[in-house]
Amino acid sequence: MTVTLNMARKILGAGKKEARRRGILCSIAIVDENGWLVALHRMDGASIPTADIARDKAWTAAVFRMPSSAISRLGNPQSPGSGFNTQNWNDRLTTIAGGLPIEDDTKVIGGIGVCGETPEQDVNICQAAIKTLPTRNS
Amino acid sequence: MKEITLEMAEKALEAAERWARDIAGLPCSTAIVDKAGALIAVHRMDGAAMATTEIAIEKAWSAVVFKIPTLMMSRWLDPRSVGEQLGDHALGMVGRGKNRLCFIPGGIPITGDDGEIIGGIGNSGVPSGVGDISDTSVSQAGISALYD
Repeated sequence: MTVTLNMARKILGAGKKEARRRGILCSIAIVDENGWLVALHRMDGASIPTADIARDKAWTAAVFRMPSSAISRLGNPQSPGSGFNTQNWNDRLTTIAGGLPIEDDTKVIGGIGVCGETPEQDVNICQAAIKTLPTRNS
Repeated sequence: MKEITLEMAEKALEAAERWARDIAGLPCSTAIVDKAGALIAVHRMDGAAMATTEIAIEKAWSAVVFKIPTLMMSRWLDPRSVGEQLGDHALGMVGRGKNRLCFIPGGIPITGDDGEIIGGIGNSGVPSGVGDISDTSVSQAGISALYD
C-alpha cells in the first residue's frame, strides 16, 4: 500500500482548505513511502523556496517514519544516534517541523510536508490534511 | 491569461493525465512552472517511474528559461545535425543551468494573452514512438485545457 495520486489530491485539497482558513500561503508536498514525490502544490503567492522545503519535510518524515521535527532529537549528544541529524542524505534531510508520516492501519505509506509561515502552523495544516484519510492518522 | 494560478495548473494537469491514461495508456508525471521557472504543481500518476517527476520539472523549467519547446532544444544536440543550429555553442549547453537544464522533448512554454511567456509545462514517462503519442503531446493536451 502506498499513497496514490487520488489520495494525494484529497490530502492536498484538505490541506489547502485549512491553509486558506488560517490565511496562510504555503506549499504542500506528498511523497510515497520511499520518499519519492507524488504531488506538490504551491499556493498562489506562496514564496518560491516553500516548494522545495515542503518536499524536504515530506521526504524526511516518510523515509525516517517519524515527524521531521523528531530528527533534531537525534542530534542530542546524549542520544545513541548523535550526529545522525548532520548527515544530509539526498540533500533533503531537514529537522524543521512540518513533515509527518502518512500511515495506514499498519505502516507508513507516505509522507506530507508543509511549508508556509511558522513550523507550528505547518504541523497543524499537515494534521488537518491527513485527517481526511480513513485511517488512524490524526 | 496573464499568469498561471494553482487552479489553472490543476486543470492542465488533469487534462494531461486524462490524455496520458485514455489515449497513450501510459502513466507519467506532469509539472507546471510559473514565468520564473518556479514550480507551481507536479503530479506523478500511479505506476509512473519515480524518475519522471524530476524530469518533468526540469523540462518545464527548460522550456520557460529558453522560451522554446524542449523538442526544439533536443535538435541542438541531435547527432545527425549537431552544430547546425548553434555552431560550437551546441555542446557547450550540456551541463549548464543549475542541473535543471533538460534537452528531452516534452517541455512547452505557455503563452499569455499579450504573447508573453507566463509559464511552462513538462511531461515525462511517455516516450515518443507510435503516432502522436509522446511526452510533447501530453503537454499539449495540458496546455489546451487552459485555452478552453
